[in-house]
Amino acid sequence: MSASATAEHPADAHANDGKFHIFVELAMILAVITGAELLVIYVPFPNSLVITILMALSAIKFMAVIFIFMHLKWDKPFCTILFFIGLILGGGTLGALLLIHGAKDSQPVGPAYEEQV
Amino acid sequence: MDQSLTKSEFVGHPEHEPVAKRSWLFARPDHKTGLVSWLTTVDHKRIGFLYGISALFFFLVGGAEALMIRIQLAVPNNTFLSAQTYNEMFTMHATTMIFLAVMPLSAAFFNYIMPLQIGARDVAFPRLNGFAFWVFLAGAIILNVGFFVKSGLPDVGWFGYAPMSAKAYSSEFVGDMSSDLWVMGLQILGVSSVIGSLNFIVTIINMRAPGLTMMRLPVFTWMTLFTAFLIILSFPAITIALVEVMMDRNFGTHFFEVSGGGLPILWQHLFWVFGHPEVYILILPAMGIISEILPCFSRKPLFGYPIVVFSGAVIGFLGFGVWSHHMFTTGMGTVATAAFALATMAIAVPTGVKIFNWIGTLWKGHLMMRTPMMFALGFVWMFMMGGFSGIMHSAAPADAQQQDSYFVVAHFHYVLIGGSIFALLAGIHYWFPLIFGRKVSEFWGKLSFWVIFIGFNTTFFPMHFLGLNGMPRRTFTYDGNMGWTDINFIATVGAFILGIGIAVYFAVMIYTYYKGERVGRDPWDGRTLEWSIPNPPPPHNFDVTPHVHARDAFWYEKEHKAEIAAEKARQAAEDEAHGGIHMPSNSWFPIITACGMLTGSLFFANHYMPGAIAGLAITFLGAWMWSLEGPGGYHLHPTKDGGDSADSNY
Amino acid sequence: MSSHAATAGPIDHHHDATTTTGIPHKKLFMWAFLASDCMFFGSLIATHLVYRLHPPVGSPDPRDIFSIELTSGSTFILLMSSLLMALAVNAIQKGNVQTTRRMLLGTIVFGLIFLGGQVYEFNHFVHVGGLTLANSVFGTTFYTLTGTHGTHVAIGVLWLVLMYIRSFKPADESNGQSWILKGSAHFLAFVGVVVVGMYTLLALIHAFEEGHGLGYYFSHHFISFGITLALLAVLVAFARQRTPVDFGEANAIDVESMGLYWHFVDIVWIIIFPVVYLLEYIVLP
Repeated sequence: MSASATAEHPADAHANDGKFHIFVELAMILAVITGAELLVIYVPFPNSLVITILMALSAIKFMAVIFIFMHLKWDKPFCTILFFIGLILGGGTLGALLLIHGAKDSQPVGPAYEEQV
Repeated sequence: MDQSLTKSEFVGHPEHEPVAKRSWLFARPDHKTGLVSWLTTVDHKRIGFLYGISALFFFLVGGAEALMIRIQLAVPNNTFLSAQTYNEMFTMHATTMIFLAVMPLSAAFFNYIMPLQIGARDVAFPRLNGFAFWVFLAGAIILNVGFFVKSGLPDVGWFGYAPMSAKAYSSEFVGDMSSDLWVMGLQILGVSSVIGSLNFIVTIINMRAPGLTMMRLPVFTWMTLFTAFLIILSFPAITIALVEVMMDRNFGTHFFEVSGGGLPILWQHLFWVFGHPEVYILILPAMGIISEILPCFSRKPLFGYPIVVFSGAVIGFLGFGVWSHHMFTTGMGTVATAAFALATMAIAVPTGVKIFNWIGTLWKGHLMMRTPMMFALGFVWMFMMGGFSGIMHSAAPADAQQQDSYFVVAHFHYVLIGGSIFALLAGIHYWFPLIFGRKVSEFWGKLSFWVIFIGFNTTFFPMHFLGLNGMPRRTFTYDGNMGWTDINFIATVGAFILGIGIAVYFAVMIYTYYKGERVGRDPWDGRTLEWSIPNPPPPHNFDVTPHVHARDAFWYEKEHKAEIAAEKARQAAEDEAHGGIHMPSNSWFPIITACGMLTGSLFFANHYMPGAIAGLAITFLGAWMWSLEGPGGYHLHPTKDGGDSADSNY
Repeated sequence: MSSHAATAGPIDHHHDATTTTGIPHKKLFMWAFLASDCMFFGSLIATHLVYRLHPPVGSPDPRDIFSIELTSGSTFILLMSSLLMALAVNAIQKGNVQTTRRMLLGTIVFGLIFLGGQVYEFNHFVHVGGLTLANSVFGTTFYTLTGTHGTHVAIGVLWLVLMYIRSFKPADESNGQSWILKGSAHFLAFVGVVVVGMYTLLALIHAFEEGHGLGYYFSHHFISFGITLALLAVLVAFARQRTPVDFGEANAIDVESMGLYWHFVDIVWIIIFPVVYLLEYIVLP
């Protein structure tokens, strides 16, 4: 077991390089983006713009973590496909449920929802 | 089958040192026969067999529950069952048939046949495979505990609509935990299904024999893959929904509690996000089996293989987009209703494409009308009829009348019995010679088929009219002046004929197991790899890992004997140079961990927290020891002559 | 199923020759499981958001209850733990056991800080904010969603601790019993540090919040503080072992699979943070 620890890896040369640095740099960038997310809610943009910016920033963080920390960028494409199947289905279901419940016919009615009691 | 002349411990060290003395805790059991060999098995064939007999047992239980229902409805104003018992019966009939009969019977075939079809010796994670079975058994026990306790069986329907599943509707007087047991049972079954499916996905993607590209896979293996995807992607939704119900019942939350701001409709959405893919989980394996049987007994390859595979994928994918067609009458609004209606109509297309391809397979084929073929042809016709009533449901205005009526009952029994069950019964006949080395008598097999066919149609065809005449589902009795009396009586008679047919089928199978005519290898002149090995198969499946050159790999082998023989000789030498065939070791920890889950869940459902925590602790310890015992394994060195084994492994 | 290739020569961490696709079985399994977990959290987030669309009159206003600074801090902590996890995987792929252990410990510590923050946050919301699981739909969905995420974090921490302890398994297998005992003691020490230590720390924070000084704190929590220190000393003693271990590059796949799980928990939080917390500050009155 220990014999192979010190051997060279001809097949994956990139393991011996700046992966460490890539990871640390990414962590810094993610911290900055998180800070930006926190700040943007206080900026007086219209709501729809703020929400869009927040969603975009989250998406960037999300993709960065899965492709770099979780190594999808360097792995076989099938791993990416597999994960995106679940992601798209989950996101799609979430979106559909929100659309359905946002429709006028799905507004709950009753005393609990009326302003004046 | 002469097996290991030598059996060597597999070690992970390059120097091949002998393994040092390990603690007795991690000594791998190596029984080949007897009870312990079954409790600790990791052999996919044995696990498949276990799933199979469990499923067949629960199929009878579910059938008995169905007969209870039909007796109660045979005549108007009947007093055979109380309303409460009736509710328990239809809940348990559906839950049992779906989760404890059809799904595990499909799992039996996935386990037994799929690794053989891809030329593998086992699945990717053998102990996890065993674990999935024991957890399934735990779930089955939890669901059926109600037969033995005062609070009775779950009575909220197999779909457990909120707010009926709320604590308020559980009778306080008998400490009613029937709904809690239902929730825990389904959760545990979900764990089993997801774990098993993850295993199958890795196996099919990663353990194929050399040369077996995806487009050369047998269709049954493709359908196994799609079903596994459906399971891992749909079960989370019901897991969440059940967690929410459990929290409402036990922690006072308001997920579905209207007075607290909850929305019962959300339960329906989450349930059907699972529930619709679930029905494709029930039918895709059946379609896979039929796609194996029809070509074999038409003496022709499957017509339009790529499109059959692609249609399976499309059905699976679209299946996630149609769930609210179970909710057309809940007032979602025009846009949502129209969208789901369109999506539901769309899903009929790939289904229809498959049917045309099956017909194309039969067309101009040399049809061998053996028993598996009878069931397969029955499938094509009966499933089509179920599909027609399904398409009628997809039109939301028409569905407004059909919803919650017997028309729906007719529809889903046509697709589930006429579809899934027929195909599974066909599969049992078809693969019986492989698994047990014996062939079922043609006369008795066909007799059982016809009695089942007649009984099934007598029961469910009239229900279309019953539904159109307005009889609602899930009502324990009806009045004599509704005009439903005659049809109900006919349906009950049909149900008993169906029962007799099933009884004949079972009797035939049991007789054949003990005394049936023995057959040699490949009795049907098959096309796929599972027929290339001795029957019953030896534990290591293939003496030599097959190399695949074309679709219908075994057919190619039969047509190119010399080439294959030379290849096998080369591969055998290579295997031997590697130290022989590597086999996984048995283990106690899958069943131990599953026992922890069983006890923990039962205590939790009874609101006894110390017991629940103890169960959790056992689960954790079992899993931890499992990871520490390591992969283990041993080597086999089969002899050159691959004789047929006369002894069954069972 | 042959693993011969893995033991012959250097290990290629990006290609497993024994599998059809070259992807190791465990990695493929974990990615499929994570795809499933996307649907799991998707359903939970959907539940939360659906209820936020039409809150009943009298629902608590999250802005009165949330502490956005604490939550932002937690987000940052989890991000850093993800970095440490990636570095742990990187280290074990090079066979560097010492660095791996340090990175694993770091991930564990940051994960525990996150969990501690959640415990503190939940406590605060219940006792000061008046938001409970059962007294409003918002409470119900909020606690269930963030609690489920927190449970995933806790399971991850447990897994990390077990992996950390596993890295001490002696290469000399002749005394299996002693390793089991040692490993169990090591594990129990960890459990003790986490439970007692977290209690001690939260009590310290609580004491400060209530305006008491250190003296008050020590006189009331002397025992738990002492136990925490003692158990920490035990952990340090275990960590100083230098005997050769049966842990190295061949175990990288297990650390990597665990890493995938941990990163996934992080990306779920990347979604939860804006969707559950930040959105409340900008959406309508």
